[in-house]
Amino acid sequence: MAEETKPSAPAAAPPKPAGPPPGPPPPKNPGMVTCTIDGREVVAKPGTSVIEAAKAVGVEIPYYCYHKRLSIAANCRMCLVEMSNAPGGKLMPACQIPVAEGVAVKTDTPKVKDQQRATLEFLLLNHPVDCSICDQAGECKLQDYYMKFDRQPSRLDIPKVEKGKRVELGPTVTLDEERCILCTRCVRFMREVAKAPQLGVAMRGNHSYITTFPGQPLDSKYAGNVVDICPVGALTSTDFRFRGRVWFMSAARSVCTGCSRGCNTFLDYMRDTTYRYRPRENEAVNQEWMCDAGRVSYKYLNHPRALKARLGRGAAGQPAARPAAVAEAVAALRGHAEQGVLAVLLSPLASLEDLLAAAVVAKEGLHLRAVYAGGRPDGWQDDFLKRSDENPNRKGLEIVARELGLEVKPFAELARAAASGGVKAVWAVGAEVPDAAAVATLARLESLVVQAVNEGGLAAAATVLLPAAPHSEADGTFVNFEGRAQRFELAYWPRGDALPHWALAAAIGQGLGLLYRWPTARQLFEDLGKRLGAALGDFRWDSLPSVARRQGLVPIAAGTVDGRLPGYRERVPEDVDKDLRSALARIT
Amino acid sequence: MSNEVKQVAAAPAAGPDPLEAPFPSKRMVVNLGPSHPAMHGVVRVVAELDGETITDAKLDIGFLHRGFEKSCENVTWTQCFPYTDRLNYVSSIMNNVGFALAVEKLCKLDIPARAKYLRVVGSEMHRMCDHFTLVGAMGLELGAMTVLIYAMEARDHLWDRLTELCGARLTSSYCRIGGVARDVPEGWVEKSRRTLDRVVEIREEIDQLITRNRIFMDRTRHTGVVTREDAIELGFTGPCLRASGEPYDVRKAAPYLVYDRLEFDVPVGNNGDNFDRYLVRMEELRQCDRILRQCFDQMEPGDIAVKDFRYVLPPKPQVYGTIEGLMAHFKLIMEGIKVPAGEAYSYTEAANGELGFYVVSDGGGRPYKLGLRPPGWPMLAALPHMVKGSLLADLIPTFDTINMIGGETEQ
Repeated sequence: MAEETKPSAPAAAPPKPAGPPPGPPPPKNPGMVTCTIDGREVVAKPGTSVIEAAKAVGVEIPYYCYHKRLSIAANCRMCLVEMSNAPGGKLMPACQIPVAEGVAVKTDTPKVKDQQRATLEFLLLNHPVDCSICDQAGECKLQDYYMKFDRQPSRLDIPKVEKGKRVELGPTVTLDEERCILCTRCVRFMREVAKAPQLGVAMRGNHSYITTFPGQPLDSKYAGNVVDICPVGALTSTDFRFRGRVWFMSAARSVCTGCSRGCNTFLDYMRDTTYRYRPRENEAVNQEWMCDAGRVSYKYLNHPRALKARLGRGAAGQPAARPAAVAEAVAALRGHAEQGVLAVLLSPLASLEDLLAAAVVAKEGLHLRAVYAGGRPDGWQDDFLKRSDENPNRKGLEIVARELGLEVKPFAELARAAASGGVKAVWAVGAEVPDAAAVATLARLESLVVQAVNEGGLAAAATVLLPAAPHSEADGTFVNFEGRAQRFELAYWPRGDALPHWALAAAIGQGLGLLYRWPTARQLFEDLGKRLGAALGDFRWDSLPSVARRQGLVPIAAGTVDGRLPGYRERVPEDVDKDLRSALARIT
Repeated sequence: MSNEVKQVAAAPAAGPDPLEAPFPSKRMVVNLGPSHPAMHGVVRVVAELDGETITDAKLDIGFLHRGFEKSCENVTWTQCFPYTDRLNYVSSIMNNVGFALAVEKLCKLDIPARAKYLRVVGSEMHRMCDHFTLVGAMGLELGAMTVLIYAMEARDHLWDRLTELCGARLTSSYCRIGGVARDVPEGWVEKSRRTLDRVVEIREEIDQLITRNRIFMDRTRHTGVVTREDAIELGFTGPCLRASGEPYDVRKAAPYLVYDRLEFDVPVGNNGDNFDRYLVRMEELRQCDRILRQCFDQMEPGDIAVKDFRYVLPPKPQVYGTIEGLMAHFKLIMEGIKVPAGEAYSYTEAANGELGFYVVSDGGGRPYKLGLRPPGWPMLAALPHMVKGSLLADLIPTFDTINMIGGETEQ
């Protein structure tokens, strides 16, 4: 109102203002933000955080609470850096502040280093002396950063705060409150990714702890991921807890067989035992998450395994040498195939290579026109990762059958045909069947040749049992429900007398007079993969991303000794930057 | 028969009279070693003889090859020390020191003064052991068994002191990156002075036994001669080079540790023969004694290692009682010392000459590459050159004085 009553502008032209204050300089790269980090020029998309921009040029900024798939909390204070546009020269959290045009970021000034040291000293004040009993030891960011940024002895002369040592938050996660640094990654994960806000922080100050609401356990199906994103040893997997030291384990790149999603995993193993799955990053499939059911789905790889060939059923069963069992299988299959009472049951848990070999033998050696699909029964499903089809390779089975001109029939038909006497013999490649009750029917067949990974079920009813190797003991491919073919690699050699399904199928094929000889799964795919035409898109067999494997127990070459190889919970920027060995050539 | 004799006797003009001809000798190839008592350790010399004269000699090495350099790439920097012990196993602390200095060069570490003195003390004691071994073995192989017994007594006295210092007679593993493993026990210095007194007596006794011994001198003088020029050409270092007249000693030429604070002389020979090489060793024994006594006088109490968790394990109370100490211990043990990326060459005066360690780090906890310049190798390689044209019997003292140690030459 008051302004309206103001007199109008004086007649005389007002002195021209000196011009607008000088605006920000025009961007050096239009549409992008250009700044310098430790003297290196970085061009980034607007809105990129300083941490991510620094990673891109190989500058490591330490952090605990930051996670690229979670919201920003900026509460660990580990990532504070100097920025030329900071008010009053304050240190700024690199995870929260986006890059800005022309800003100079410095990450290794004495001020920053002192801040990092002080932050670590605070974080370690109440940390228990636990490395020797902590599952995280060896992959713990407290240990890593302490050696990188602190290295001072303790100055604490009062007792540490004591908190709960083994709090069972839920069925899969156990919390050690004393080790927690309250970065709240787990809280944010449950809220933002798992969409089940079951975790929170209670109390204040150094008495704070992560907890669930009273009477509401951490029972989300994705709770296991908080163990992976926990940068310290606070959240531990109840399943993996105290079972093995991580530095003894090697990791193979693998694919989860829990459902048809095919989450990419690291399969951690020691000698010939699988210890755990960890999610492996794949933006298109599982980002870097995994469900709890998938995490424990490794157990069938270890036990109970069928490791010895067997002839005869039930009490009459006798262990046999594998060649003898194969010969017996060939005789049974040939006889029944000639009578037209043979059926082939393929398991969608077997790899693409297994199914290719078995289907080719069924078609060319046994002259069948149809195969039956076995596999696990359907389970639960949600709208995040888990699929109801709990078989990793059903799509692969369908592709193989279609491209080879075989009809795929459901298992129920096989059960009916077996009951009615239309089928008197079955060759089962993989012993998993969706209907456990039908096993009794199949157990009355004249001949039941089973290639089984595990004992029990159909394997117990077999007249000829051939031990098969699961995906941990073979190279191969699974095709997930979207039709995405994904490679997995052999972690350790097949246990006992086991061989991959494809090798057993090839042996049977040879018995039937076929001339296929494949020394490796790779050669098998080179040979038979052509028959799949374009069904797999641009899939290449050698398509595993080229990351080195983490090796445990055996000596590892220099440069990889810190164990920080792929599979590590968070990539450290060194491997983003460049090959250290080539860098070495420049230094010298 | 009689006809033939007649014919030979009847044709004197056909050639030299066979009865006048020198005894026709056949070239003979003799295999010395690899398991011959005079071939210290295991090395084989294939000598071609014309009568008793060596016309050609070939060396066959590698019986003691252990892949030292490659082995080091598979263990952390600290875990390399036991491997270095097995180079020149008669004087292992000098190998420890050489390796530690190379890594410390990369880390730009300056270790405490007491640690430097302790390294020198260990080194010089082991140098004495090495020279006593040589002198004793030389005596033995030239027929003076007593000398060996005496030298072994002296060496054992020194080894007793070294055992008290580092817990082992041969495989000392005494150094660490950033210092040494442990300080001297209580009263050790005084005990060591007394030990040195006894060692001096033994040394003088040996000196009297063989230095002016006619047989010994005849066997060693003017045998295995290497001229100064040849020695330099062949890459000799250490006592063998000095015996040929070149006064080069790394301790003087590029003093490391505390050698610049110590007074000692570098003995130099004239003829470059076996006798000179023996004399240089005897004189160096005297100089070692001087150095040791000076160290004992100059050493002051203090730290024996740098106090930096990046390089040196925290004290055990901190490891068991604080998370900081435990983490540092864990990382150092599991992953090793993070040595800055780069390369370095350290050269020290070991018992046989210049001991060189070339280390390359890629910033990780294990050596990326490690190269060794074994001091004994050039001398061993020159052995055929030294013995060609001499008598087979001269091979033995020559092989003695070059002091071939299989552990280091064959790595």
